[in-house]
Amino acid sequence: MTLESPAFEANIAKMLVVIGVVTVVGNAIGYGISPVEAAPGMALIAVIGFVSLLLGRHVPLEFPAFAYATVIGLVLSLPFSPVQELVLSLTDPVQFLATTTPILAYAGLSIGLQVTSMKRMSWKIVVVAICAFTGTFVGSALIAQAILSYQGLI
Amino acid sequence: MANDEPGSGVWEPIRTVGRWSIHLRTHLTVLAIVVVSELIGSHQFGVGPGQVVLLPLLYAVVIGILVSYSVLGRYLQPLRAVVSKDVSEVSAPLLTVALMPLAVKYGTQVGPEFNNLVSAGPAFLLQELGNLGTIFVALPVALLLGLRREAIGGAVSIAREATFAVVTERYGIESPEGRGVIGVYLTGTVFGTIFFGLLGGLAPITGLHPLALSMACGMGSASMMTACSSSLAEAVSGVSAERLLAFAATSNLLTALTGIYVLIFVSLPLINRLYAFARPLVGGEDA
Repeated sequence: MTLESPAFEANIAKMLVVIGVVTVVGNAIGYGISPVEAAPGMALIAVIGFVSLLLGRHVPLEFPAFAYATVIGLVLSLPFSPVQELVLSLTDPVQFLATTTPILAYAGLSIGLQVTSMKRMSWKIVVVAICAFTGTFVGSALIAQAILSYQGLI
Repeated sequence: MANDEPGSGVWEPIRTVGRWSIHLRTHLTVLAIVVVSELIGSHQFGVGPGQVVLLPLLYAVVIGILVSYSVLGRYLQPLRAVVSKDVSEVSAPLLTVALMPLAVKYGTQVGPEFNNLVSAGPAFLLQELGNLGTIFVALPVALLLGLRREAIGGAVSIAREATFAVVTERYGIESPEGRGVIGVYLTGTVFGTIFFGLLGGLAPITGLHPLALSMACGMGSASMMTACSSSLAEAVSGVSAERLLAFAATSNLLTALTGIYVLIFVSLPLINRLYAFARPLVGGEDA
């Protein structure tokens, strides 16, 4: 790990602020929600994100930061959580889809690093990949459909 | 780990000290991509009984690839100066940071649905086995295309980070199995979100229930799951978007927890047996 601890924390905090600003701007343009309304929720989300990145880095489990952030968000918003209403009223103005666009923008830019190696690959493996993706999806959907209907839930 | 998580040691590029120009160019480029994508907005149109759903997240990944130094940046000098290779390198670990707000939002979708999710518990656990579907679909195709042991790495799973790590550690990154897993990994990295974004909108054609389809969206990659479940939620009515997103997120979380064990104890042994059985049928012994 080349980025040592105090520098890591300082840098991810800065990056979360940047991403928060970008998300709030996208949230205003795409979904018409004023940045003032979304800012408190975005701040809460950024704090949870910060804690999760630290947990992902320092807890010696094979559990990614993404999973910590999901679990923290989940626990706070459970029906029997004392802060459920507060957390949901703060985070609701930050639209789900608005949080996805910056991720994919960074993803797209970073894919630039892989484009050259893609060109060296056989088209056959691309076909295999598409079959693998489709197979996973269809397999899971069929089993879920069978069990949910057996349980009478759908 | 299968959630677009960089391994240790790759955080270095986010260091800001003395690197303001790179950071400024990176984040302003992202801001511009987000603004353009959100201005275009969501669009959907029917294709037969399904829907093609175009969401800002799909434009963002496509624009991001196009403006990067190795695509249009190769030919357009001004673009190359702004969106340089450094920008791509900074963007890779930033992807993990940018996933945090999404992860929290997923959590806050799952929490209120808690009671519904518990009642669907058995379906969540068993549908994990559906991930083996990749072997039964992709292995025959790989063998028919003439691939040999590349098929083991390529068809064993959707090859996100955990699989990549296990397969390259077991067989070596230069082995045929290693080449197979790299190929599928790269294909997923480049086309995964686009592919699943389109698949999520078209999947209701199958006639399967939206809840079953949303569970299928959670296959261990945060960005693919997001593209899949967001498109699905836009395409169907009758089940609330919140519920569909909550089911997808829960399924994804379970895959993250169980995926690597299923791979080591079930998928890899299974695909090796099937390969040994099927390979001679498609054309002689292993080289």
